Amino acid sequence: MRTHSKREDWPTERLGLRRFNFRLIARLTGMLLVYMAASMVLPLAVSLLYQDGAQFSLLVSAMLILMMGLFLRNIVGHNATYDLKEMESYWFTSIIWITVPLCGTLPYLITGTIGTFTDALFESFSGFTTTGSSILSRPEELPQSLLVYRSFTQWIGGIGFMLFVVAILRKLGIGGEQLYEAEFSGTRQRKLHPRLAKSVTRLFTIYTILTVGMMALLMVDGTSVFESLCLAFSTVSTGGFVPNSAGIIALGRGSLIMVTVFMILSGISLAQLYYLFTLKWREYGRDEELWTYLGIFALMVLTSAAAFTSAGNDFLSSLSYSIFHIASTMSSCGYYLPKPQHWSFLVSVLTFLLILMGASAGSTGGGIKIFRAIALYKYIGNYFTHMIHPNAVTCVKVNRKVVEDDYINKIFAFVFLYLAFIIIGAFVLTLCDCSIPNAICMAAANISNLGPSPLINNLGGALDYASLPHLAKWTLAVLMVAGRIELFALIAIFSPAYWKRG
Amino acid sequence: MLVVEGALILSCLIPAFHFADGTWPAITASGLFTLCVGLLLAVTFRQARRITDKRMAYLLVVLMWVVLSLFGTLPYLATGVTTSFADALFESTSGTTSTGATIFSAVEWLPASILLWRSMTQWFGGFGIVLLVLALVPSMGINKYSLYTAEASGADNTGKQTTSMGATVRHTLGVYILLTGLFILVLWKSGLHVWDAVNITFTNISSGGFSIYNNSLEHLTHAQQYIVALIMLFSGINFSMLYYFLTLQWNRLEGKHDQIRCYLATFLLGALFVVLALALRMGYSWSDALRCGVVQTISVLTTTGSLVADTSQWWVPITFLFVVLMLCGGMAGATTGGLKTMRVLILLRNVRKILRDRLHPRSVNPVRLNRKPVSEDIITNVMVIFLVYAAVIFVGIMLLMLSGINATESIGAAIACTTSYGPGLGTSGGFGCYVGFTTVGKLICTLLMLMGRLECLTLLILFVPRFWSRG
Repeated sequence: MRTHSKREDWPTERLGLRRFNFRLIARLTGMLLVYMAASMVLPLAVSLLYQDGAQFSLLVSAMLILMMGLFLRNIVGHNATYDLKEMESYWFTSIIWITVPLCGTLPYLITGTIGTFTDALFESFSGFTTTGSSILSRPEELPQSLLVYRSFTQWIGGIGFMLFVVAILRKLGIGGEQLYEAEFSGTRQRKLHPRLAKSVTRLFTIYTILTVGMMALLMVDGTSVFESLCLAFSTVSTGGFVPNSAGIIALGRGSLIMVTVFMILSGISLAQLYYLFTLKWREYGRDEELWTYLGIFALMVLTSAAAFTSAGNDFLSSLSYSIFHIASTMSSCGYYLPKPQHWSFLVSVLTFLLILMGASAGSTGGGIKIFRAIALYKYIGNYFTHMIHPNAVTCVKVNRKVVEDDYINKIFAFVFLYLAFIIIGAFVLTLCDCSIPNAICMAAANISNLGPSPLINNLGGALDYASLPHLAKWTLAVLMVAGRIELFALIAIFSPAYWKRG
Repeated sequence: MLVVEGALILSCLIPAFHFADGTWPAITASGLFTLCVGLLLAVTFRQARRITDKRMAYLLVVLMWVVLSLFGTLPYLATGVTTSFADALFESTSGTTSTGATIFSAVEWLPASILLWRSMTQWFGGFGIVLLVLALVPSMGINKYSLYTAEASGADNTGKQTTSMGATVRHTLGVYILLTGLFILVLWKSGLHVWDAVNITFTNISSGGFSIYNNSLEHLTHAQQYIVALIMLFSGINFSMLYYFLTLQWNRLEGKHDQIRCYLATFLLGALFVVLALALRMGYSWSDALRCGVVQTISVLTTTGSLVADTSQWWVPITFLFVVLMLCGGMAGATTGGLKTMRVLILLRNVRKILRDRLHPRSVNPVRLNRKPVSEDIITNVMVIFLVYAAVIFVGIMLLMLSGINATESIGAAIACTTSYGPGLGTSGGFGCYVGFTTVGKLICTLLMLMGRLECLTLLILFVPRFWSRG
């Protein structure tokens, strides 16, 4: 199929390494960038509407991204064969998750709202990976259009470029499935429709409905259109950017409740939400992960409310803070309210646990995912049985389906890698003069795409990341991407086995 | 229950024979008391049925450590060096689990007999009382292998020298005693007092880390510190390997290099970073940096816990690296704590295997150790232990924080106790001690030490309801 002449061969070929279909990858990436440039219409419109003076810079960055995209698509990716192997889908995943945020820095840099490249990079990575860590201590000083853009990056990142996958799916053939898997790890078990394109469209519809619904509800409560838009984008994608420095507390009481509800919803897998909206209750009641998610949520809220109350706060404020805090942590949104007067250590530790565990598989949240946690928990239970009765025959069932040992082993390895990444990340952070608990919390919060958390202290009152040295910002950006694409794709392209021909 | 007897006799004979200072009545009394209880138990349960059940083996191991730690408190309480039972239990457990965490802020004030008792508990604690008991009571007829897996790292069946369990134990014990004797001699020849040499060797060969001086190894000359480093290095190596090495059966070592290579590589890389950091960042002279870096890294990697300097003052990344190294630990089949080199190797290679599986879905990629494929069971075992280990440490940190200790110290103490390293972070780290902890905090640490030594599963399984149910 591929007919490269000698002249056109990639340098990797001459080193005896594997030949990748870079041409296609470049073409796809290019296409993605074109779409991204097109999506800049939204902030541009906001800018024109509010006359905030950023329209020209936004236009320039959109044009630059468009040109880059066209260059990759039509010149580098010219004549590409449409044949994406699994190996190449790793490359593709990693490359888009690096290219897109890199291009995403342009609006920040061209408008001059963020001075240094590292800062812009941090903000952009934090946006696209739906992390929500920010180096902006006073976001309201930015033009409105850029704030919308910032939240919009989260919205795009949250759906995992799925729109794009739909757009090019027909041309991809078999590679598309793998791409889908790479983007939405947990969805493997529960495709909504036999046809990939259909199920992706359904998920996307749900996502949009949630966003529009949230925005409408916030507006009804009296929040400004601009803030509603930003918050809807950031909440549904479990991102967590807040468009003002006063924080989420600046909203009215009703809006806060809305935000909490939508945080909880966004921690549920999109497929489950689809069943909810189409009133397929039977599917609903059967889902173990969903009920575990809600159960853990309720349990944690009660525990932490009790802990705060016993620490000396009054019960109602403890309860409301706990609900918001736990919802924000489990869904990996990363909004935070002002801390209650007396903090409780028990809550710190539970929060850390929740950061690691994260949301349901197939949602936009981060973390190890509840599905994996359930499987591991059951497996360890079985293991104890085996220690007592060595000949017992056991199996792990989640959602009434047997989880094969092979898959369990993958989950184990994933958790091991996850912890290893946190440890390595935290080590680099200690090199930047962070204290050990702080470094560990920061690494965990960013690999789980949570972003700010009350656990992270010494960052100044506003919990912003601005004061960190450059090395720390780069490390955190890498962790965000690693967490977002669930490690393997990123590790794969750095492993020698991947490069070897054969 | 018969086995308890042997250990108990040992534990009382030893303090009884060195009543060198004014504490001899107390020591003798506690020794005799322990002896009596041991004999009584032995006589009462003479007719007991032999242990064949796996469950009994788990129970026995746990019980033995608990009972030994309990009786180990007697000398402390009887001599009155500490009045609180929690303190004595902490110190005693720290000894028998060869952790080396101490609640005495000024050890030089303690009577000599107590110091020796501390070192002594580590010496046989470190080696594993189970092995000791097995060697002394070869005619017990227990299902020895099930006992052995409960104690030493279960996954290592590459290190068994002979088919007979008893012989393995005897060889290992031989190596242990030989090394102890050798190093006492070497240290003595290097100009150390015999008393110091004995104590230091006891606590370091067992990767324990109790010291008879407040400033631990800083008390020694530089050359002696390097010798101690060598002791610790040996204590982190699988004793079967040492046996082959010492008996010149080098051919049997062939094809078993994976672990030791990984162990030494970890050590060298860690030491390299520490030496550079000390010299460039902390302003040590190069020779000091080399000495402190090398000695301290090996002390951490083998989870000994002897200190060449006040490490709590060192740069934070070094401390963090130490925490990670502690978690790795030394080789399986040695006296160290932590996860053990072999498990870390298997964990890493399993990740590689999964990557390869995903890249080439139809290929067969076994996890290999020493060029032999590792069975699925062992991989699962390693994974489960890893996860349970992490969970235990996590819960430990949580409980410690709840008992009113700040975050850094909780993390430090929980990890140091579970990995049987000893000194934590903050006030419990460096030349500090655990005296500042609340009683609850000390008890939690004590439990963590036991957990770590028994590799979590052995102890945790006692809390599974099904363990106690019939059939």
